[in-house]
Amino acid sequence: MTTISGPGPLAPRTPSRLPRDWTAVIKFVAVLILALVIVSPLFLLVVASLKADRFQILADMGSFRAFWVSDPTLQNFREVWTFSGALPFGRYLLNSLVILFVTVLGGVFLNSMAAFVLAWGRLPGRAIILTALIGLYIVPQESIVLPLLTIINRVGLSDSFAAQILPFMASPLYIFLIYQFFIQIPRDIYDAATVDGAGPFRIYWSVFLPISLPVLATVAILLGIETWNQYLWPLMVTQTDRARPISVGIASFFGHDSIYWNSAMAASVMMMIPVLIFYLAFQKWFVSSFISSAVKG
Amino acid sequence: MSISQVPAANGRRRSALWGGRAQEITMLLPALALIAIFLLLPFLSSFRIALTNERLIPRPVPPRFVGLGNFQQILTDHDFWRALWNVVRFTLMVLPVQCGFALAIALLLNQKLPFRNFFRGLFFLPAITSMVVVCVIWATLFQYPTGPFNQIVGFLSFGLVQPIDWLGDPSWSMPAIVLLSAWQAYGFQMIVYLAGLQGISESLYEAAELDGANRWQRFWHVTMPSLRQTHIFVLIITTIQAFKLFTQVNILTQGGPRGTTDTLVHYMFTAGFVDQRLGLASAVAILLFFIVLIVSLVQRFVVRDRQ
Repeated sequence: MTTISGPGPLAPRTPSRLPRDWTAVIKFVAVLILALVIVSPLFLLVVASLKADRFQILADMGSFRAFWVSDPTLQNFREVWTFSGALPFGRYLLNSLVILFVTVLGGVFLNSMAAFVLAWGRLPGRAIILTALIGLYIVPQESIVLPLLTIINRVGLSDSFAAQILPFMASPLYIFLIYQFFIQIPRDIYDAATVDGAGPFRIYWSVFLPISLPVLATVAILLGIETWNQYLWPLMVTQTDRARPISVGIASFFGHDSIYWNSAMAASVMMMIPVLIFYLAFQKWFVSSFISSAVKG
Repeated sequence: MSISQVPAANGRRRSALWGGRAQEITMLLPALALIAIFLLLPFLSSFRIALTNERLIPRPVPPRFVGLGNFQQILTDHDFWRALWNVVRFTLMVLPVQCGFALAIALLLNQKLPFRNFFRGLFFLPAITSMVVVCVIWATLFQYPTGPFNQIVGFLSFGLVQPIDWLGDPSWSMPAIVLLSAWQAYGFQMIVYLAGLQGISESLYEAAELDGANRWQRFWHVTMPSLRQTHIFVLIITTIQAFKLFTQVNILTQGGPRGTTDTLVHYMFTAGFVDQRLGLASAVAILLFFIVLIVSLVQRFVVRDRQ
């Protein structure tokens, strides 16, 4: 268990050089092996999606060939993408992307506007609204989905994009996250803008938004992951392929006698690609956004 | 976006103030309206519905007020108690596995290490993998009898352990769900622990070393006590998440085999969506809400107690 010493001051004081180098090597190898073990299921997924068919996947499953493909083919992806019969995955993926973009863009905009008014506005009753929002934040989505379903059915939004976007755009948690960021901004900035004669929206739009990119990115990433991974709600609210997201599409591979592993694997890789692209592009923000979501309490 | 930049000199203040008010209301209202319609309203109506025998698809007969009948029915239903017990079982198993693993990785990654940021990114990959995708992957890993997991178990035990039907065997189904859930979600706890570790002052370790503390003692007497707040936070968040367990069991086991992975949310989903008994399901939803509420209040209490 060579896990404790933090980096820095402790290190140079170690008496002899040789043992220290050895522990460093052992540590590195241990981390490397652990990382390989942890990532291997994802590697297996990508490899399997490139295999010829589901029989090949199952045949290779019991040996190290599970992690190797000798003649990679994109056939599974082509099939999944052009499926137009029972499971149109191209459509599912597009549905998911539409829901994602509208929810995230609208969510960041509406939540930050509300947070701005709550933090800097002059409306009476802001404190009460804020307290109510913090109280609502605790309500788990799982415990409101069924009454929500009856409301959606009653207003005729069943099986629609709107039913998957509107309920999740505005959220007490994200309003509160942005609010906490806004109230730390020095009062002078707000006052200076007011003296210039700018109204609230103008101040919000051209003064506060530009300096709030970190928290807006945090909210966009968290809301994005949440939206992309929605399962229980779209499972209940989508009855046809019209607005069904890819998560529900992939889940429908299960529950049959024989699963089309090749298609399921290819569809899963397709579902991962957009997230991976975003993750690689914004990795630093991704990780820090998870930390700041943790500081919400 | 409409702001009068060239106001008339007279009454400028008043109209600006009024315009400001109107703008503020316009900015605040969309978010509040959406929250009121899609969060507050369903939340409040779940309390009303829970007292009736309402169906998901309305019948010609209007729903009837049944008082606490739904709660009575749930609390005397063996399946409900089994679902509750399963969630508790899941929580008790997933907490040490997931948080322990997250802490171990965080300790490793908090040290001087070549390619440290690359490794952090790698270890975080499962956390950004959608649960549905995780189910596809782990369903193949758990294949019976020749899947990778069974091969590894057979190899490590020199063939002594027979292949296990991980998802189909009542005594293994929950541990299997625990394993894949912990793999998917530990990244979050890892990040929180990393943040916590970086907040520990280096001088504490130096002082401990001067006192002759070895690595193990430094871990127990410096690292662990300093992480107290982080531990509490991680445990609470993980517990709340665990109580909402649904996606994995819905996809992989449908609550089976023999109800060993039926969870609170799965029970609610079956009652409300499959059996259409909205009133009964709302009663479960309310119980779930109160469980989450109590866990959160415990956190508030413990944290405040400390300060």
